Amino acid sequence: MSRLSRRGVLRGSLSSMAAGSLARPFIANAAAKTATVWWTQGFIPEEDASFRQIVAEYEKATGNTIDYSLVPFLPLTQKIVSALTSGDVPDVMEYNVADLALVPQYAWTDKLTDLTEIVEIEKAQYHPTAYLATQCYNNVTKKRGAYFAPYKVFVSPFHIWNSLVEKAGYRMADAPTTWDAFWDFFKPMQKKLRDKGMRGVYALGLQATTTGPADGNDTFHAFMIAYGGNDIVTPDGAPHLDDPRVKEAVTKALTYITTAFKDGYVPPGALSWTDADDNNAFHAKQMIVDLDGTISTELALYHKKEQYDDVATMGLPNDNLGRPVPAQLGVGGVFVPKGARNLEVAEDFIKYLIQPKVVNGYLKEGLGRFLPAMPDLVKTDPFWLDPKDPHRSAYTRAALLGPTVPNHPVYNPGYAEANAQQVWGVAAADVIREGMTPQAAAEKALKRIGEILAKYPITAS
Amino acid sequence: MTAPSIDGKLVGRRPNYRLRRSLTEAAALALAVVVLIWTLVPIYNIVIVALEPHGDVFTNDIWPANPSLESFWIVVTEGYWYLEHFWHQFGNSLYVGVATVILTLVIGSLASFSIGRIRIRYGWLVSNAALLTYVIPASFLAIPFYRIMHIYGLSNNLWSVIAAEVTFATPYAIFIFQQYGVSIPIELDEAARIDGASPIQIYFRIYLPLMAPALVAVGTYALLLAWNEYLYQFLLLSSKSSMTVPVALAQFLNSDEAPWNYMMATAIVYALPPVAIYYAFRGRMTAGLVMGGVKG
Amino acid sequence: MDDAQVLRAGVLPGPSPSVRLRRRAWRGSLQGSEFTWAVAFLIPYAALFLAFVAYPVAYGLWLGHKPALYAELVSEPIYQRTVVNTVLYVAIGVNLKMFGALLLSGFFMRRRWWVRGLLLVYVLPWAMPALPAFVSIHWMLNGQWGLLNNILWNIFGIDGPGWLETSRWLALGSVIASHIWKWMPFWTVILLAGRMSIPQELYEAADVDGATGLRRFLHVTFPLLANLYLICTLLSTIFTLGDFNSVYFVSGGGPALSTHVLATLGIRDAFEIGRPDLGVAAVMSALPLMVPLVILLMRKLRTTEVQL
Repeated sequence: MSRLSRRGVLRGSLSSMAAGSLARPFIANAAAKTATVWWTQGFIPEEDASFRQIVAEYEKATGNTIDYSLVPFLPLTQKIVSALTSGDVPDVMEYNVADLALVPQYAWTDKLTDLTEIVEIEKAQYHPTAYLATQCYNNVTKKRGAYFAPYKVFVSPFHIWNSLVEKAGYRMADAPTTWDAFWDFFKPMQKKLRDKGMRGVYALGLQATTTGPADGNDTFHAFMIAYGGNDIVTPDGAPHLDDPRVKEAVTKALTYITTAFKDGYVPPGALSWTDADDNNAFHAKQMIVDLDGTISTELALYHKKEQYDDVATMGLPNDNLGRPVPAQLGVGGVFVPKGARNLEVAEDFIKYLIQPKVVNGYLKEGLGRFLPAMPDLVKTDPFWLDPKDPHRSAYTRAALLGPTVPNHPVYNPGYAEANAQQVWGVAAADVIREGMTPQAAAEKALKRIGEILAKYPITAS
Repeated sequence: MTAPSIDGKLVGRRPNYRLRRSLTEAAALALAVVVLIWTLVPIYNIVIVALEPHGDVFTNDIWPANPSLESFWIVVTEGYWYLEHFWHQFGNSLYVGVATVILTLVIGSLASFSIGRIRIRYGWLVSNAALLTYVIPASFLAIPFYRIMHIYGLSNNLWSVIAAEVTFATPYAIFIFQQYGVSIPIELDEAARIDGASPIQIYFRIYLPLMAPALVAVGTYALLLAWNEYLYQFLLLSSKSSMTVPVALAQFLNSDEAPWNYMMATAIVYALPPVAIYYAFRGRMTAGLVMGGVKG
Repeated sequence: MDDAQVLRAGVLPGPSPSVRLRRRAWRGSLQGSEFTWAVAFLIPYAALFLAFVAYPVAYGLWLGHKPALYAELVSEPIYQRTVVNTVLYVAIGVNLKMFGALLLSGFFMRRRWWVRGLLLVYVLPWAMPALPAFVSIHWMLNGQWGLLNNILWNIFGIDGPGWLETSRWLALGSVIASHIWKWMPFWTVILLAGRMSIPQELYEAADVDGATGLRRFLHVTFPLLANLYLICTLLSTIFTLGDFNSVYFVSGGGPALSTHVLATLGIRDAFEIGRPDLGVAAVMSALPLMVPLVILLMRKLRTTEVQL
């Protein structure tokens, strides 16, 4: 029995006419509906204002309503986990580190909607690394697919106090360009600064911590990749923990970090630094160099011109053989859980969001803390490579114009669990506090990773 | 109590009475100093971070080089974007706090009256069941709570938080009421019953007035629980307009760069009402108890 | 002079014949309307319990019901460390806290103006919101630039250790101290109220008999407080087992994941590793300790009802 009433039909046809007249290529004709969206709260109010505007423009253009919540990063993680566990999910979720945590694991257990179609639309625009980062493995369908739609990327550059370097009698222009030499460059500065009365200053802010979501792992991985250990997990998801090159890289990374620590060049508190502590120490000028994700360190000083100009932002130096070291590219984006009630609107909204010009506008309001995943944007919009802002341009170059590799959890979600287990932070602590040799600690860590990855077997695809 | 004396000189049953008294006084003073330092050092840290003009947390000083009250001003005038809705969120916290106190006191006292005064047959089952609330720690119940609030249609609603806080405060309230209720003789209830009073009249005329100190104590506990609890509040409340201040405080941890001086200033401003309330009611609580012990 | 004073003046510890009689007379002798009232008074709590305790607990238990989870949990190296930490944290934390509360409640009985002023300052840790207070302690204990070491250096010339980073035991001790800092005032106030409800006549009687100081405490105060102290200890143990804030914000489980307790491990497994089922299992593994405690508490509360 048909339940169509004349009024219903009239209403339906009017709205689809309206939608049709305002339609743009990427919008399918959908009757006005609502979608719930969870978005990460920005670091500054302008970001949130920009997001609100994007939503308003979308609503005006399509007649759909977006019921959004701006949630700070840590609670958002907890909300996403709670939602996906209990089954009460919103339609769209956005996450800063979608390639690093949560998405690979939930894709594995088939809790997310495959967004391959949407991502393919913009594929040509995406940086190849960013595109590669979306290909998560689904253990139920035994296939890879794009489980999140990326739009922003970031890397971990160096943050260096120029004034401290100069106070110690050195110049950044003289800094070596190979890995070990670059790090060693800062070590003698510590003594010189202490001789000048700076009692508690340290040279290197190496985050050998097990607290906080990512910093300890990021630091370690930077070293590991510089020493040639990037193939610890290959894009097909297979672990190569017995590969001698990987073993050597891992051991060397642990050795360098822990030796610097034991020699007193790293603040001892680094072992239990939380996410903010390295920034706290850096801002208080307690260390010369910090390796930390995004340029939030500098942007926090945005309104203090003198200090802002004092910090030098640098990409990674070459490895010890003079070859460029690829940076790990973090990719953030939006994803749709399975069970979302308004799939159509969700996908529609995402298609709108990942248009380059929308992305560009949004990220510019955030002062470039995150970079667009589309390299063409930074080449055409002078904002990103503006020579007047050395921080942003160095950061942009490192992320989008230099060599990059995706994070390992995309290849195999088990690696996300290994990261969460802070295997490398524990290894560093084993050497520093328990007196293990770096070789032994490396073996132990690799063994642990092996156990974790064994839970995530990936058949070749 | 005055010390016994003959001819104005202190006479003790033990030798060196006066010496012992002064030693005890000195020991008490020393203890007081230790307690003061122990209590205040972390709070001192909060204060100096709040006074630090750049929100620097790591310095080598024990007093900020250029202390400034600017952060307090920013908090009070909502001058920072995390604090844009501070007073509204403060109002939310107040709303949650007061509702929690009222509901906890009402539900808890009614239940303990039924169990402890009317002595309903299987009342002990209820108070034991209440204890089950604490067997599973609150931090674990967060995910199930998130789900059921959604089912009850209370997502992002202050009442979901109130429900959670009352759930955790009431068992404790029931125990305290049981404990204190024991010292109120049941003969009073019996006498009233003989005079023809119904249970509800006994509840209002006899039980509640005599339980006043316990009500104040439990009310303070419930208020502080609701005021300062944050795990449930941030899980259950997502928007700036429904947030409470603990959730707003947690926003500062969102970024790894936040102005910590504003955060600590907010914490100090936020801690003032419970302290004020405790100060206001402490007198009443003490008076009620002391009065009970002094012979007429 | 109201009824309470009249009656309290004649109250003495120990069961009296009238109490026993009363119990027999009351049991099962509730009249119809009284029974209705009694049930009506219980309905609000029953509803609250069913809606907000029974359902979530059942759901939570269901999340953690697979035995395989426990096998996985125990096989993780961090788990054994965590259990040891939890036992130490609770055993030392609760006992030091309660003992300190007992001691200080006696101290705060003194009727000096500065003692009363001190009480107000003393309860500040309880009144401060946990998050900023513990974050502040985390900063304060930083080995290089924290306030504590700055004080030690500037005033005493001592180079303080890294409280949270050098060793697991120092970090665990710091976390226990933070927990005590926050919660001891609360229990002190409870015990203080307990002390204040001890009738003054008993002390006067003891004085006449020549008991002062320690003997007064042992023979008058403590026997009357004993029950309250035990109940508070049990309740505090239960609360402390679930205490998440102290460890999470002060040490973050560090250094090197060595100071986790079951509550923080549960949250970490649930949210950082993305395995809520494992997190539930971690917390549930404390049940063998929790359930006897709760049963003990239940028993204690029942006997209390009968005693006076």
